Amino acid sequence: MLIKLLKYDLKYMIRNMCVFYILSVFFAITTRLLSLPEQTVMIKILSRISSGCMIAMIADIIINVMMRSWVRFRDSIYKDESYLTHTLPVTKNDLYNSKFIQTLIFFFVGFVFVILSLFIAYYTPHTWLIIKEYIKAITTGFNMSMLFFITITFLIIFLELFNAIQCGFLGIILGYKMSNGKTGLSVLFGFVFYLISQTLVLSLVFVYGLFDNSVMELFKSGTINIDVNAFRVLAIVSSILYLIIIFGMSIICKKVLNKGVDIE
Amino acid sequence: MELLEIKDLSKKYENKYALKNINLKLSSGKIIGLLGKNGAGKSTLIKLINDLLTPTDGEILIKGNKVGVESKKIISYLPERTYLNKQMRVNEVLNYFEDFYDDFDIQKAKRLLKDLDLDDNQKLSKMSKGMQEKVQLVLVMSRNADLYILDEPLGGVDPATRDYILDTILSNFNENASVIISTHLISDIERILDEVVFIDKGEIALQSDTDELREKENASIDEIFRRMFKC
Amino acid sequence: MELTFENNIPIYIQLLDYLKIYLISGVFKPGEKLPSVREFATTFKVNPNTMQKALSELENKNLIYTERTNGKYVTNNKELIEKLKDEYAVTLAKSYFQGMKRIGLGKAESIKYLEGIDE
Repeated sequence: MLIKLLKYDLKYMIRNMCVFYILSVFFAITTRLLSLPEQTVMIKILSRISSGCMIAMIADIIINVMMRSWVRFRDSIYKDESYLTHTLPVTKNDLYNSKFIQTLIFFFVGFVFVILSLFIAYYTPHTWLIIKEYIKAITTGFNMSMLFFITITFLIIFLELFNAIQCGFLGIILGYKMSNGKTGLSVLFGFVFYLISQTLVLSLVFVYGLFDNSVMELFKSGTINIDVNAFRVLAIVSSILYLIIIFGMSIICKKVLNKGVDIE
Repeated sequence: MELLEIKDLSKKYENKYALKNINLKLSSGKIIGLLGKNGAGKSTLIKLINDLLTPTDGEILIKGNKVGVESKKIISYLPERTYLNKQMRVNEVLNYFEDFYDDFDIQKAKRLLKDLDLDDNQKLSKMSKGMQEKVQLVLVMSRNADLYILDEPLGGVDPATRDYILDTILSNFNENASVIISTHLISDIERILDEVVFIDKGEIALQSDTDELREKENASIDEIFRRMFKC
Repeated sequence: MELTFENNIPIYIQLLDYLKIYLISGVFKPGEKLPSVREFATTFKVNPNTMQKALSELENKNLIYTERTNGKYVTNNKELIEKLKDEYAVTLAKSYFQGMKRIGLGKAESIKYLEGIDE
């Protein structure tokens, strides 16, 4: 049944997101076409507009995944549509998991389109070389492979965003549990959970720092001059912490949902 | 085994009981009217049976199962509001029901839609509320469920549609299933009821065979109801 | 055959009345096969259970009978139908006289009124 739920959740997202994907690729292509070596003033202006639009669409892709996921979650679990959702012969866990996986998938798809658009708009062998050199400078400084660096960077950005989504879900669930139909409380809860999860990661890293001097230096010196070892540890430790927090929150969400809902 | 058995069921909101100590047994093969004034607790009871509310106390058993996946497989529920995703087309909704409910008869649904002159290809957002309600009725009646629960199916519909709804209920009715119809419009519906349950102020006031009650009181159900719950 | 029903009288009794009239007037003839409960219920737009109850009453009075696999049939006993007709006519006549009595008219006078009416 999870697969069937997911099918319809994904359909909903495609329906609402595809316009942003298409537009961001479209503006990426126009940006590309307008980046002629010899530019008139008119083309210069058009090129600026086009690249501006592309950046806006890229931002939309990320922001909309978050907003849509929250709204979809609230609508199908607590609004009119919940009359259908909760009377389907599926478990509450499946309902939740479907939303969770749907968001995960659309973050990935979003990232793919962001990179694709940037690639279409700005790729030249020259810029590629510059980026490569830049990353290489960092990675050799930190004494790590390029693949590791790119993976861990994306992973952290991804987890960070996903943590925010998860806080939103938990906020919605608890908000509706406490005050039926008041979205305000859900938003407040979501925000509080976000602050808590961030503080938790930070303080746990601090605790880790008690056993690892290089990490502790971060808290003491307050400079951006990160130690090689500290960066590696920080990246891995915080990724693991985020994962634990995200899964912990999803377990709480399912526990609360399984206790039953009260639809207005 | 009873089709539906409710034991000491209560639902409390803050300090007020919406339902208090409900005990009820309903068997298969009957059309049952759940009758009460607005706010008497009809919808609360129905929502509890359908897992949309969580009981404060008591138990609900459907063919011996608690409310959950198993009960949802055999209950076909028509709520009093429109609950479909408005972005979907009628066709998609049919497929959705076929995907989730093993007992959904898509051919029958298509036939009923045709009878009602509803277009399969139309988006729900392009339909009037009345049309959307008809689509929902078709979906619910096209399942071969053991228990149909219709919450206020006649609220705000014109007489022609009302007759159509009653006919649909009757022609789909079979001895293996029961239909619960909640309404406050008693006179429109009482002739098709086997059994009535009166609900008032969150409590069951009466449960009886319809014709026996008419014979005993020498009056229509509507009249008996009015006498019992004079404002 | 769309029938109208009063909500204040048990529906099965009203159905029973209609069915009796069908038998008396020969809509269903002696020995004829009757529609199934379902078909009856659909045409009369009543609950099949109520229909079943009315038919059972008829069966108790031996006006119809069930052949195990084939369904229900009108009795072949024409006398029984005649008797039913007679009973029904008596009831109608009685209620007429009762009505006339209420407005102060005796039997003889009432019959005069009957004779004065063109059909």
